[in-house]
Amino acid sequence: MRILVVEDDKKTADYVAQGMSEAGHVCDIVEDGRNALFQASHEQYDVLVVDRMLPGLDGLSLVKAVRAASIGTPAIFLTSVSGVDDRVEGLEAGGDDYLTKPFAFSELLARVNALARRPPLQDQKTVLRVADLELDMIRRQVTRQGQAIELQPREFTLLEVLMRGEGRVLTRTMLLERVWDFHFDPKTSVVETHISRLRAKIDRPFDVPLLHTVRNTGYSLHVPR
Amino acid sequence: MLKKNWRLWRSTPFRLALAFGLLFILAFLVADIITYQLLKRDLAEALDDSVRDTYSVVASTYSSEDAEDFVAGVATYARLNSPEDSIFLLVDEKGERLAGNVPLFAADDGLSTIKAGDIGVKGDDRIRIQAGTVSGNRLIVGESYSDTDDLERVALMSFVWASGVIVILACGGGAFFAARAQRRLDGIGRAMSDVSAGNLTRRIPLEGNGDDIDVVAAQMNQALDRLSALVEGMRQVSADIAHDLKTPLNRLRMTIEQAMQQSGRGGDIQAFLLDAREESDRINATFEALLRISQIEAGTRKARFRPVDIEDIMSSVAEIYGSVAEDNGQSLTFATRPASPSMVNGDRELLTQLFVNLVENAINHCPPMTSITLALEAGDGGFAATVADDGHGIPEEERELVFRRLYRLDKSRTTPGSGLGLSLVKAIADLHGAEITLKDRHPGLGIIISFPAQLQA
Repeated sequence: MRILVVEDDKKTADYVAQGMSEAGHVCDIVEDGRNALFQASHEQYDVLVVDRMLPGLDGLSLVKAVRAASIGTPAIFLTSVSGVDDRVEGLEAGGDDYLTKPFAFSELLARVNALARRPPLQDQKTVLRVADLELDMIRRQVTRQGQAIELQPREFTLLEVLMRGEGRVLTRTMLLERVWDFHFDPKTSVVETHISRLRAKIDRPFDVPLLHTVRNTGYSLHVPR
Repeated sequence: MLKKNWRLWRSTPFRLALAFGLLFILAFLVADIITYQLLKRDLAEALDDSVRDTYSVVASTYSSEDAEDFVAGVATYARLNSPEDSIFLLVDEKGERLAGNVPLFAADDGLSTIKAGDIGVKGDDRIRIQAGTVSGNRLIVGESYSDTDDLERVALMSFVWASGVIVILACGGGAFFAARAQRRLDGIGRAMSDVSAGNLTRRIPLEGNGDDIDVVAAQMNQALDRLSALVEGMRQVSADIAHDLKTPLNRLRMTIEQAMQQSGRGGDIQAFLLDAREESDRINATFEALLRISQIEAGTRKARFRPVDIEDIMSSVAEIYGSVAEDNGQSLTFATRPASPSMVNGDRELLTQLFVNLVENAINHCPPMTSITLALEAGDGGFAATVADDGHGIPEEERELVFRRLYRLDKSRTTPGSGLGLSLVKAIADLHGAEITLKDRHPGLGIIISFPAQLQA
């Protein structure tokens, strides 16, 4: 994947670029907003990683300008501006995701992967399937090996999010945002609790585990490799 | 000195007093002049009438049968009156003086004014005369202006004195009121410059009479109260931050030193690195929470307020945390009175965080077997949301303190948390105009959030 990192702090930029190339991606680093706008409109990228505070043109205006130029490249804001309104502003400006500093690299990688490979049609599917696990959006039913599984509403949403991201790592914060709509860090093990309950229902009675814990990062639903 | 004068000139009360004083004096003078002129005219008319009357009385004594009597009559008038007061003169057709108390002189018909000296009368008064012809004889009758002039002089003098008194009163009164107002403005100025100099406890002294300066001063005092409360809060927070962040930063440094020693001995430092990362995450989370609280307190979020159903939020928080509490050996239930209103104009994300924080506090700080209850009921036009538990509770003397930033009960120092959860709850409640009260439930703690009456669903 080709990623444009717009970041004026050299240390952060190098940290991101090194991690991305270790994960097999190609990274271009631009330090100011104006050059980034030029670069983003003249080259093909799969994802833009944009710092909010930049010299020349700030991140918010940069993404607005990119969208105004009808460039649909997914953009993720990476910023130490973590105010309550800033996330909303970022998304309204045309950003697709938002991550506050300090961040774990695995978190950024998971989010970049999720953005880049977001298949546009998947959202419209009403029946999701992973191996022998099936989730019917319309009848709100879950079955595995043909056996019906009773899920709480929140567990249903959690499973839906995991199935849509099949094979990808979903971090704890990504799940909090997408399943619970929590944009803050809870002080209890709310994610762990629900994951373990879901696992007890969809995995434990069966031979092959589908829901996997990715250490220090998050969770992933896939057929074991 | 020049500077002082300049300051006086720029003082509003002084300028007002001066302007009104001048205006008042001017008005009085104009009124004086007009009155004086009217009086003068009236007096002149009265004199003219008097002269004319005397002339007609004297002239009417003439009858054609006895011209001698007429001359004798005029002579009697002339004898009875001193020429300084009234003059009489009768002259025949040939210009011979027949009778009178003044030497012979000529005058035109009708009213005219002559000087006493011109006709050989003592003094320099003017005389108003009426001249005419009575059956061929010239009759001149006149009255001195001296009485009129005396009256005018008295009037003029009284006006002058009154003006003097008025000017003194206007200046004195103006100076008094200006000085009074100036003193109070100076009091405000001194208080404010004291405050600017850093003495935030200084307040503007009030007169207590409730006038406009008092009202403004009271409002400024209120603003100062709020300001000093804010500054006190800031001071408190910076002290707390300095204290509470220094500790983890020191721990971080120690961990790094240990890691360096370990690596010097060729040992594995992975555990130390994990420790260091965790510690720095905690420091970051504390900063994050502080930032969030101050942004909420700034109130910019109000622009994004939408109608939100609190019951909806509470039931989903209860649903989400039910299993967490269960895994912790506790129970979590949500009870609502069906009739209770629950709509507010607010920020869904923040209100969710408010209930999440309260529920997480209960889960983290209460022992197993505790039952945690969420409840919603109508009251006082609005409604009250309660998060209650039957755990340890909070000691009475610490109840006010728990909303302070970074405050932690001594016994909770060992459990996780930044000490910012309740300050955040308070900031969110304040933003929504809701009031928080803590209630002892013997055992346990009830936190009641009272929302004011606003939207109806």
